[in-house]
Amino acid sequence: MTHRLRLVLALAGKDWRLFWADRRAAALCFLVPVVLASACGLIFARSTESKQAARLPVAVVVEDPGPFTRRVADDLLASPRLDAVELTRAEAERRVADRRPGVAIVLPAGFERVAEASDDRPGVELLHHPTTTAEREWAEGVLTETVMRRLARLRYGDLVGDAALAPPFKAEPAAVTGAAQARFSAYTHSFSGMTLQYLLFWGMESGLLLLRERQRGTWDRVRAAPVPLWAVLAGKGLATAGIGLLVVLATFLAGHLLFGVGVDGSLAGFVLVALAACGLAAAGGLLVAAVGGTEARARGVSILVVLGVAMVGGLWLPAFLLPGWVRDAALALPTTWAMRGFDAATWQGRGLADVLPAAGVVAGSAAVCLAAAAGWISHTEGRRRRGEG
Amino acid sequence: MPVALSLQAVRVRYGDRVAVDGVTLAAHRGEVVGLLGPNGSGKSTTLAAAAGVIDPVEGTVAVEGVERAADPAGYARRFGLVPQRPALYDELTAADNLRFFGRLYGFGGRELARRVARGLARVGLTDRAAHRVGTFSGGMRQRVNLAAALLHDPPVVLLDEPAAALDPECRDALLADLARLRDDGHAVLLSTHHPDEAGHACDRVVVLDRGRVAATGRPGEVFACRPGGRAVLYGHLRSRPPKFLVRSLRQRLGPAVELGITGNRLRLAADDREALGRGLAAVLAEGVEVESFRTPAGTLERVLRQTRVDVPFGIGT
Repeated sequence: MTHRLRLVLALAGKDWRLFWADRRAAALCFLVPVVLASACGLIFARSTESKQAARLPVAVVVEDPGPFTRRVADDLLASPRLDAVELTRAEAERRVADRRPGVAIVLPAGFERVAEASDDRPGVELLHHPTTTAEREWAEGVLTETVMRRLARLRYGDLVGDAALAPPFKAEPAAVTGAAQARFSAYTHSFSGMTLQYLLFWGMESGLLLLRERQRGTWDRVRAAPVPLWAVLAGKGLATAGIGLLVVLATFLAGHLLFGVGVDGSLAGFVLVALAACGLAAAGGLLVAAVGGTEARARGVSILVVLGVAMVGGLWLPAFLLPGWVRDAALALPTTWAMRGFDAATWQGRGLADVLPAAGVVAGSAAVCLAAAAGWISHTEGRRRRGEG
Repeated sequence: MPVALSLQAVRVRYGDRVAVDGVTLAAHRGEVVGLLGPNGSGKSTTLAAAAGVIDPVEGTVAVEGVERAADPAGYARRFGLVPQRPALYDELTAADNLRFFGRLYGFGGRELARRVARGLARVGLTDRAAHRVGTFSGGMRQRVNLAAALLHDPPVVLLDEPAAALDPECRDALLADLARLRDDGHAVLLSTHHPDEAGHACDRVVVLDRGRVAATGRPGEVFACRPGGRAVLYGHLRSRPPKFLVRSLRQRLGPAVELGITGNRLRLAADDREALGRGLAAVLAEGVEVESFRTPAGTLERVLRQTRVDVPFGIGT
């Protein structure tokens, strides 16, 4: 083993020992992403399952005593697309305000006129919570279909059978993911997202440790030793990336054992994305140390940046839930690509060729961050040496 | 004895401010040289320049004839730096700290283990090798700090006010360590602003004032009592007295006795010994507990007065 490599390993080994010196804190490093990912997975797994059932919770308010109105209300209550319940207007308004359910269909007094084909068309109120615009439109569609069917039966009687009233086509849903049998896995997505987020936080902590070393004076002692700056930075980066890789392995192992999180696509692709993400965390940590100034200042700004890139990069919520412009803007962030890479290699079941671009973007971003950090630290060290810093 | 460390006309700037201005000094093997001066006189900057942490804008620094620019790694191997505040990893054990710093100097395997064991034995901490440094007292930390600087047996040892935060017992132990280093053939450059420390530990002192060498020579010569010199007493207090008590004491002592208290350290200065005795009695009468005190042969202040008369200042006040 060469002397230079031994130096780098000695520096990395020191950070490794510092990491394990506080065993409880080290254990939390592995536990926290598992807990966060489990919680997020639980939330999104339920919401996606309820969407598969495709039953919209609505309240039905009947204010017209006519028989046509009653039949429409009964049809709505029996609709396979709605999870409908009949309420009074007062109760419906109270519950909609609390978004339980988010929409109420009010069949008002005079609704019976619909059956008379009068020019004076009655208004139908759709009470809805301010955040349920999509649900309101969904309810309006189901109401329209229900009324038109009931009206056709009323006017044409037995001439119109159930078959004639059925849609003239058959919808065949197919999730576009990559592999033929792939289904969105909320747990896999959450474990990927929370692991990435925690990697970034770990990188930040590693950078803060370097700032702490400066304050303690150990940095000066290390710099006074026969150790080149690049070796110090390489040791720091190696330790950060190594511990990060351990976090990735431990978190995904826990996800696999607890929720069946797995790599359905390319394992090599998954490993490449994980390595690139660990490199990004290490480079990000060095960047924090380079530009952070004091530990307190660096911590405040870093937390803001990590949370920002995690949210916009789709680490918390699946990216498809974010607005289009956010998704476009997020393409500039390495976290977006890391998430794409993990999604592709895991639940989307894609091959290495599909994962490589994402891994490449993350690795490239890590290289840019590393170069910027090394340049900045070298510049700062030069200024200190010249008595300018 | 051969010259181990040599600074020739060294000038260091921090931006527009000149911190060290043309300092020339040398330390030989088997010699303890004290770098003496008040706060801001350029002691730490001179040490930083000697350690290669900061580059002088003018002049040369060489350790055993090797300049840093010519051979940075070889230069770094030739000195050991003992920072004022122990530069150690509190989370690691004393042995782990020494192992880490030893590896930076290229040691490994049995050689590293031997040096770590020797380093711990040298500072009397063999039985605490497996304890975390964060649990150590200030004196023990400073000893590990010293051991870390000596792992690679450097010919030159640079110490930046190592006794600043130590109690009298620990300080005496540290000064005894310095004597052993000298006997082992190291060249020691010790920065301090306490003349009594320099008087006890150093073979030669270099007094700095505003970045320049104000006086140099053996401590006995530099601090020699001369007619008109002030009587000075340095003491160590059991606890730091409250500010109101210090103010009240100063009022009571009046202009005849100068009182300075920095942390747990006490300094009393008067024109003659009688006034000094009255001052000490007044301090004790106020209930200030003085654990120990000593009267140095001379004072730094007077040395500086002899070389510079325009700016009087108090040390440690």
